[in-house]
Amino acid sequence: MDKQLDLLQGTLDMLILKAVSLGPLHGYGVLLRIQQISKDRLEIQQGSLYPALYRLEHQGWITSEWGESENKRKAKYYRLTAAGKRRLQAETENWNRMADVIAGILGAKPEEI
Amino acid sequence: MTLWSCIRSWLVSAFRRPRMEGEMDSELRFHIESYAEDLARGGVPREEAMRRARMEFGGIENVKEEAREARGLSLFDTLQQDFRFGLRMLRRSPGFTAVAVLTLALGIGANTAIFSVVYGVLLDPLPYQDAGRLVLLNETTPKVGVVSVSYPNFLDWRSQSREFSEMAAVHGASFNLAGVAQPETVNGGAVSPNFLSVLGVRPFLGRDFDATEEKAGAAPVILLSYSLWQTHFGADPNAVGRTIMLDGRGYTIIGVLPANFRWPDKTDVLEPIGVWATQGSGATERGERGDMVVLARLAASASLPQACSEMEGIAARLAKEYPASNDQFGVALQPIREAFVNDMRPAILSLFGAVMFVLLIACANVANLLLVRGAGRTREIALRIALGATRGRVIRQMVTESCLLALLGGALGLFLAFAGIRGMTRLLPMGMLSGATVELNGVVLFFAVVMVAVAAFIFGVAPAVRSTKPDVQMHLKEGGAAAGTGVAQNRLRGAFVVAELALSLILLAGAGLMMKSLHLLLSVSPGFEPARVLTMEMDLRTAQYDKDPAIRNFWQQVLDRVSGLPGVQSAAVGTVVPLTDNHSRGDITIEGMPLPKPGSFPHPDIHIVSAGYISTLGMPLLRGRTFTETDNETAPQVAMINAMLARQFFPNGDAVGKRFMFGHPSATNAPQWLNIVGVVGDTKLYGLANAARLEVYVPFRQSPPSHMNLLVKSGVDPVALTSAIRGAVASVDKDQPVFAISTMSQLVSDSVSTRTFTLILLGLFSGLALVLAAIGIYGVISYSVAQRTRDIGIRMALGASRSDVLRDVLGLGARLTAIGLALGLAGALAATRVLSSLLYGVRSTDAITFTAVSLLLMAVALFASYLPARRATRVDPMVALRYE
Repeated sequence: MDKQLDLLQGTLDMLILKAVSLGPLHGYGVLLRIQQISKDRLEIQQGSLYPALYRLEHQGWITSEWGESENKRKAKYYRLTAAGKRRLQAETENWNRMADVIAGILGAKPEEI
Repeated sequence: MTLWSCIRSWLVSAFRRPRMEGEMDSELRFHIESYAEDLARGGVPREEAMRRARMEFGGIENVKEEAREARGLSLFDTLQQDFRFGLRMLRRSPGFTAVAVLTLALGIGANTAIFSVVYGVLLDPLPYQDAGRLVLLNETTPKVGVVSVSYPNFLDWRSQSREFSEMAAVHGASFNLAGVAQPETVNGGAVSPNFLSVLGVRPFLGRDFDATEEKAGAAPVILLSYSLWQTHFGADPNAVGRTIMLDGRGYTIIGVLPANFRWPDKTDVLEPIGVWATQGSGATERGERGDMVVLARLAASASLPQACSEMEGIAARLAKEYPASNDQFGVALQPIREAFVNDMRPAILSLFGAVMFVLLIACANVANLLLVRGAGRTREIALRIALGATRGRVIRQMVTESCLLALLGGALGLFLAFAGIRGMTRLLPMGMLSGATVELNGVVLFFAVVMVAVAAFIFGVAPAVRSTKPDVQMHLKEGGAAAGTGVAQNRLRGAFVVAELALSLILLAGAGLMMKSLHLLLSVSPGFEPARVLTMEMDLRTAQYDKDPAIRNFWQQVLDRVSGLPGVQSAAVGTVVPLTDNHSRGDITIEGMPLPKPGSFPHPDIHIVSAGYISTLGMPLLRGRTFTETDNETAPQVAMINAMLARQFFPNGDAVGKRFMFGHPSATNAPQWLNIVGVVGDTKLYGLANAARLEVYVPFRQSPPSHMNLLVKSGVDPVALTSAIRGAVASVDKDQPVFAISTMSQLVSDSVSTRTFTLILLGLFSGLALVLAAIGIYGVISYSVAQRTRDIGIRMALGASRSDVLRDVLGLGARLTAIGLALGLAGALAATRVLSSLLYGVRSTDAITFTAVSLLLMAVALFASYLPARRATRVDPMVALRYE
């Protein structure tokens, strides 16, 4: 297993949006899905997940409803809203542009300048 | 969409708290348990799995708190928390809470009470349409000042002025209302028919006057005030159309005024001016200035200064055209509000300033208490900050506590204000308020709430910011005892005390000046002996008194019967009692004097009196004789003059035996000379603070007036004679009302009532300020002694004497006092200027007063510092050193 990376500041929200965009998830499910997709390379503070979920719900990007989990228990499921979908799109574009720029800067060689 | 979801989630969190909390709990539990299950599935033992799941999840309360905040309910939440916490803290130190709440209650209560007067008298909208454009007009003359308007002049003003869209004349009127249990006098006005429409007022019942009722000969009709309609007609809606007997004459009631109708003078009834003009009341005499004021509405495009200059022009033209009646007469304009305010404005504003100072002092005191308390709580605060509370959060908590204090103080203050308002309205003579309502109404309550917020801010923020300064975190290491010893803290406390002392000095200076002027004023001789003299008015208005003999007969009989009552020393009648609003003036011509311009004749006040008047009022006879019973209708016409007239026109002391006549000499009529038989002392007719004027006295039998005052000097308390005198009057004419019953001493004190009112309240407030400032300086010195106990102990152990310690501690008090005094004196020099118009005989910078109040403040401040200083000298070095 690779060494785990600390989450970059402000990226948790984006990851949560992405995770629930793939289908409704409860809080623990969000954690599992991010770990699964990232192949356990990201270190996520479990506790920090919930304030982020509530914040996103408060902002209207996701909504929640109570449902039944795989292990037959009551769980709260989060789902992306239309506004959340647009938000995710925008954030993704932003991120990609930023990553390009940063990568370009970091990859610059003396002769290119 | 987003905004909506925000609001919804905020609302949900605010109102569905318990459910949200439950959901959050089960959601988090689900997470932890699911994780634990996964771990267990991976082979970790059940117990261990649960423990690890909890650990990796992190502090669950922290998460919840953050989650709550993320949801936006933190504001509500923390407020509630802070409130509960604050209440707990206040309950834990009842002494502090009681002192702080009481101090604030006094400050806020005094403010609210005075503001109720400010609002009632100065701000409460007058019940007129666009009252700001209504103006009252009077005539002016350099000899007297503001005087009434003559009706012909009013008619010319109305036809010539363009700056006013409408004008209406109002002539004071009074009527005898008989046929009720006790005959009474009702007051009101004879008004131009457009009077109510100029005000923008419509009758509550019935009709307004119509334009035809302006002409002399109009049928007698009357509008009743709402309260007269209630008391005399049982609020019967069918009263309109009925007849009311006034002055023995039937008036048809045409309507009722609205309940909120106000006019500067007492108004029970209104009649159209045409009815008044019918009665030969001088409506056609340009020189007759009875009791008329003109109400006018500024035209849409006009301003008060424009209207002033236009009216000056009109008055100047009239003076040229009719010199005999109008020479040197001008016009005075006054926004209608001023007529309601009387001379109350400077008094009210001074008092309002004073209570603001009191509130500031109260705030400074509470701020000081909080600082001391904050110092004691440094450890608690440092601990909370160390445990992760942000500084803002702690400040918010402390400000919430301040708000709580202010709210409690405000609530108690409202009770004080309620009591204060009742006390104040009793202090003021009724007429003074001109119908203003002084009460705790919505506006006043709102003001109180604002004061609470302002107070909480003033006394709460500085200590909160100070107590949470980052350096206090050092104290966690230093240990509690050293906490709050910071120089900056002490300096802030010192500054508060200096401010309190300075503000107190300003208030004391104001109160001192008022006290000195009232003392000087009341030691001014009014020119008569007010003790044990009762006065009452009677106005003979019915048809049976339209001939002189009947009038003479009535007064003579009243005098004879009242004189015979047991307890009566002497009785007299006279037209003008000093210090009341009734005046009668006229030009005179002294025999042989060079004739001046028409406006420059001597213009004395004229008293028509009975023989015993001078002795009943205890006035000095300076020369010649007073009137006797033989100065009657068949005897030669005689008069007395006052000392001032004698001095001005007979400087050689030979007035007795000279002659004068009323009015100006004319070619057609032979002069009617009056023989001067005596010279009497001057009286303060126009108030104790005003200069005496020229006065002449004539015997009532030679020109019997229908409206006079009965004056009774008694050997006992004159008020006890009231009903006997009423009985004597009724035995002469059972339908004759008697009104305005008062003692002369009461008239004297009423004449200075605005000043008395100001003095009493200012004295009260400055006393309060002094006590608060004393508590303030006592607190600061005590605290500094307590902080330095060990210090003092060491010094004493090293050989310092008690007097060294005493001097040292007192020195701090003296320094604060000196700075406070210096600032206060500077402030007082500037601030007492607002009192100028209320002062008499002292300047607003009176050195003696300033010295006296400075000494008083100094003595109190030093005494307040001496108490803790003495305690410092009793410090036992051994105890002090073991102190920590």
